[in-house]
Amino acid sequence: MGLIKKVPAFVEKFPGGGIVTTSLDKIFGYSQASSLWYLLFGTACCAIELMAAGASRYDFDRLGMIFRASPRQSDLIIAAGTITKKMAPRLRLLYDQMAQPRYVIAMGGCTVNGGPFYYDSYAVEKGIDHIVPVDVYIPGCPPRPESLYEGCLKLQEKVKKQKIGDWA
Amino acid sequence: MDREKLTAYLQEKFGDKIEALTCGPVEPFFLVKNKEEILQFCKDIRDDLELQIDYLCAITAVDTTEKFEIIYSVASVAKKIRFDYKVILDHDNPEIDSVIDAWAGADWYEREIWELYGVKIKNHPSLGQFLLPDDWNQGHPMRRDWDAPDFIRMPEF
Repeated sequence: MGLIKKVPAFVEKFPGGGIVTTSLDKIFGYSQASSLWYLLFGTACCAIELMAAGASRYDFDRLGMIFRASPRQSDLIIAAGTITKKMAPRLRLLYDQMAQPRYVIAMGGCTVNGGPFYYDSYAVEKGIDHIVPVDVYIPGCPPRPESLYEGCLKLQEKVKKQKIGDWA
Repeated sequence: MDREKLTAYLQEKFGDKIEALTCGPVEPFFLVKNKEEILQFCKDIRDDLELQIDYLCAITAVDTTEKFEIIYSVASVAKKIRFDYKVILDHDNPEIDSVIDAWAGADWYEREIWELYGVKIKNHPSLGQFLLPDDWNQGHPMRRDWDAPDFIRMPEF
C-alpha cells in the first residue's frame, strides 16, 4: 500500500506524467467500481431484500456485484439489518479483516440510527457509524432492492472519483 | 380435553393450591399460590396420566413494578392440552425454584430470566453470563426501573 501511494509523486515529475496518473485513476476507478464484491453479512430482515437484490429478478451481478463468503475477498460490506451491541465487535472484526480499499453501506433504518429500536432498547447499537466508517446510508425499513441499487450506484460514483493513494 | 374440563380437572386435583384466572378467550390460565410449591406442581402435572404435560413451551417474566410474575406455558403433545400458569414474587429479592428437574428445557429460559430480570433461580446449575454482551456490567435491562447512559426512553406523545 505504501508503494502505490508514492506512484503519483514519482511519475508526475516526468513530462506527461500527469496524464499517466489521471488515466491510471480512471482505470483503477472503473475496475474497482465495476467489481464491488460484497460480504455475505445479513443480520435481520434487510438481508431478505439483499437476497432479493442478489437473485435473478433484480440481478446484482450486472453491476459486477457478487457475494463473497469471506471478508478477505470482499471490497464492500453491506450491513443489512439490526446491529446489536453484542454483534458490534464482530462487525468491526469483519471490517478490519477486509483488504483496502473497503467500503461500507448502511442498509436500513437500524443501521442508520437504530431505526425502530431507537427508543426503549438496551440491546441495539444506534447507528453503525459508531463502529465503522460508512460510505452510503440507505434508509428504509427495509429498503426495497431499487433503493439498494441506488445506493450501490452512488457508491460506484464515489469509487470512480477516487484517486490512486486516496485509500492506501 | 377442552377448556372447561381442564379447569375443572385441575381445580379438583390441586384444590385451593391454584386459582383459575380469566385471561382472554384462548388458553386456560392459573395462579399457583405458593411459590415454594412450583417445582412440585410442575412434577405433578408432568406425571399425571390424564394431563401428561411433556412439553414446556416457554417460561417468561413480567415486571409490574410492585411484583414479578413468572409465567410458565406448558403443553401436552400426547393429550393435545395447552395451558399457562404463573407465580407471583416479591419485587425486592425475587427468588424462585428451578424447574429443570421437571423439564430439562427450562435451563435456558431460566438463565434468560435471571439475566434480564434479575430473578434469582434457586438450584440452577449455571446462572451467569448468557445472552447479554460479554462485557455487560449494567444490571438487568428488562426491569422497569432500569436505566443506562445511552438508553433513550420513548417520549410521551
